Amino acid sequence: MRFSFKGKQGGSHPDENKERTANLPIVEAEVPRILVFPTTMHIGAPANPVVEVGDKVKIGTVLAEAAGKISAAIHSSVSGEVVAIEKRQTVNGLADCIVVQNNQKDEKDAPIINFDQKLTKEFILDAVRKAGIVGMGGAAFPTSVKLDSPPGSTIDTLIINGAECESYSTSDHRVMIESSDEIIQGIQVLRHLFPHLKSIVIGIEDNKPEAIDALEIASSEYADISIHSLRTRYPEGSEKNLIQNITGREVPPGELPVAVHCVVLNTSTTLAIYRATTFGEPLYQRVVSVSGTPVVEPKNLLVRIGTPVEFLIEQCGGFNTLPGKLLSGGPMMGKTLADGSEPIIKGTTSITALTPEEAEVGDSSDCIMCSECVNVCPVSLQPILISDAFERGNIEKAKKLGAMDCIECGNCSYICPSKISLLENIRSAKALIKAEQNKAG
Amino acid sequence: MTQTMELEGKLVQSQSPHIRTKRTSSWVMTQVLIALIPPIIAATYFFGWKVLLLVGLGMATAVLSEYLFQKFSYQKIRIQDRSAMVTGALIGLSLPVTAPWWTVVIGAIFAIVIVKQMNGGIGKNYFNPAVAARVMLKVFFSPWITDWVLPGTDAISTATPLEFIGNGVKTVAATVPSIGELFMGFNLGGNVGETSKLAILMGMIYLILRRVINPKIPLLYIVTTIVATGFYSGFDLDFMLTHGLTGTLFFAATYMATDYSSGSLTPEGKTAFAIGAGLLTAFFRITFNFPGGVGFAILIMNALAPYIDQKLMPRIYGHQQRPEVKYDRQAK
Repeated sequence: MRFSFKGKQGGSHPDENKERTANLPIVEAEVPRILVFPTTMHIGAPANPVVEVGDKVKIGTVLAEAAGKISAAIHSSVSGEVVAIEKRQTVNGLADCIVVQNNQKDEKDAPIINFDQKLTKEFILDAVRKAGIVGMGGAAFPTSVKLDSPPGSTIDTLIINGAECESYSTSDHRVMIESSDEIIQGIQVLRHLFPHLKSIVIGIEDNKPEAIDALEIASSEYADISIHSLRTRYPEGSEKNLIQNITGREVPPGELPVAVHCVVLNTSTTLAIYRATTFGEPLYQRVVSVSGTPVVEPKNLLVRIGTPVEFLIEQCGGFNTLPGKLLSGGPMMGKTLADGSEPIIKGTTSITALTPEEAEVGDSSDCIMCSECVNVCPVSLQPILISDAFERGNIEKAKKLGAMDCIECGNCSYICPSKISLLENIRSAKALIKAEQNKAG
Repeated sequence: MTQTMELEGKLVQSQSPHIRTKRTSSWVMTQVLIALIPPIIAATYFFGWKVLLLVGLGMATAVLSEYLFQKFSYQKIRIQDRSAMVTGALIGLSLPVTAPWWTVVIGAIFAIVIVKQMNGGIGKNYFNPAVAARVMLKVFFSPWITDWVLPGTDAISTATPLEFIGNGVKTVAATVPSIGELFMGFNLGGNVGETSKLAILMGMIYLILRRVINPKIPLLYIVTTIVATGFYSGFDLDFMLTHGLTGTLFFAATYMATDYSSGSLTPEGKTAFAIGAGLLTAFFRITFNFPGGVGFAILIMNALAPYIDQKLMPRIYGHQQRPEVKYDRQAK
């Protein structure tokens, strides 16, 4: 039981399991012969392919363009030839993919933008859009949309999210240590977008002291950049909770952080923004930590987007035991992979393999009203009541209890001693509420 | 080639989260049973081996009646969650050593069949089965279970200290055992489980460290009772502490007010529950001259818990108001 005398709490403490990779420097992953680029690797409309089978491409060549405002361009991460445009297995199920055969020459295309320009809002947004940058903490929301604050909005706080609260994942941790100066330079670029900025906060969980130190040093000459040491608890890195813990503000239901004058960006995203605006480099590679008990030699890898997961597993020595689950992401919010053929996409922070025992969910039994799910919910829901309402078919009640406010962190299902699929039920309730709203029109 | 090629069809596909805490409901109940060991040892030390008979009989009857009820009502047998064992042990510890064996049996059957199972079973019953059984026995079987004896072989009948400090009295009579005796449990009559506050405190600390109970429930309950008697007695410290350490307050605050099913679900509700139980306990003790004020206090709070929860549902992140929803655990 997690308790506090203040009443407000939230958060759980799953085993961190970061020790196998936390101190390993990032190494460049080998590049496979065949790379797969899903057109759906971001939130929003799938990108429109602009290449055809047989086209020659280089690193940075646009494969697909953003289709509308909420969408993102996709670039080749290798030089070679487009060999297929077809449906393939991805993290998000079967999806249209552009398949590129690597010619191993690593020829680079021209920069995406003439980067020798003054840092105006237009230039930065253009560069971020053309670089195809999306939120790299997992959500993969197009960053240019996030940065293009509506006219009249007064963003006063820029939060860089280095919490990395998911178990096993160490990619942001290593990026913060090894690219601390570039992250700070990225913040310098971002300043130009927000004239009303009062404070810039880098939030890092206190289980990453080296990252905190590295960014303290890198930011020492900027008085308005502060490092906020966050409590190590899951899900400290959720956008809503980060804003609350750093500024004391709460994002109203259904609104975006801009409503409370905040913008939150992941550390790796900040780094990508720096590279795009300074070197005209598109987002074609990212750091992915590969770990988990079945993995022989876990690593932090700099991976070309489009690399199949199984190719990375091989570079980590393969498995010493058959995993029960292979996840894109960590054990709390990650998505199950079908066979490892799925490619790394822009939002892949980590690959986690779990043994069948670790992934054991257990048989569910009746609720004993222990209130643990209420205690761990980061947005103060009463998960068992929503789950109950759903099981009784009372969708109206589930809605009133705040089902739509659920951020799907998984704490309730994780903590339940009766092993009730609380989040699964809440998700189902959300789907029904959405369907009803759509019907109502 | 590595094993990755053999993965297809072997990997489990499911929604997140993919891990679960090792803690299970039966583990939780086991912790409560472990936390009952110090009071059981203390009671056996003070009152002899018959204590083990009371506790064992209580547990066996509770488990058996739960099994039979579930079997004959065509439900899934759930005795392995060990909650019936806890209830049975609590009833055994809630009686004086002179209690006839059949009072334990009646208490345990009443607790499990009527209070627990007929009100929906685990997680659904509004009243704490052990407390309800205790109060029922007090009301209907008083002559058999209020024959308080002092520890020892002579079995001298005695009054409990509460009878000296309740019912309008404002100071502690000289005949009442000292604070130290009350805490340790020496020279004290009463229900077997509640004599040694030291033993109960050990159980309480164990449950808190194991994060099985929320510490604010027993602590706020006991402190509220003590402070409330302070207001009444003009803060006579001796009077206040004697109230805090007599009767079943410590025992019930640790093992009964912390019950999940019959308590409050919400964090603020738990605070209200504990304070309310403390105020009611002080009120009953001071105003009326009957044993079992703690039991009545907890039962009343049990009945109020759903309303408390309904009023004190946590304000959801980003919302201005608390959710307004009818709170009904038993509804189908």
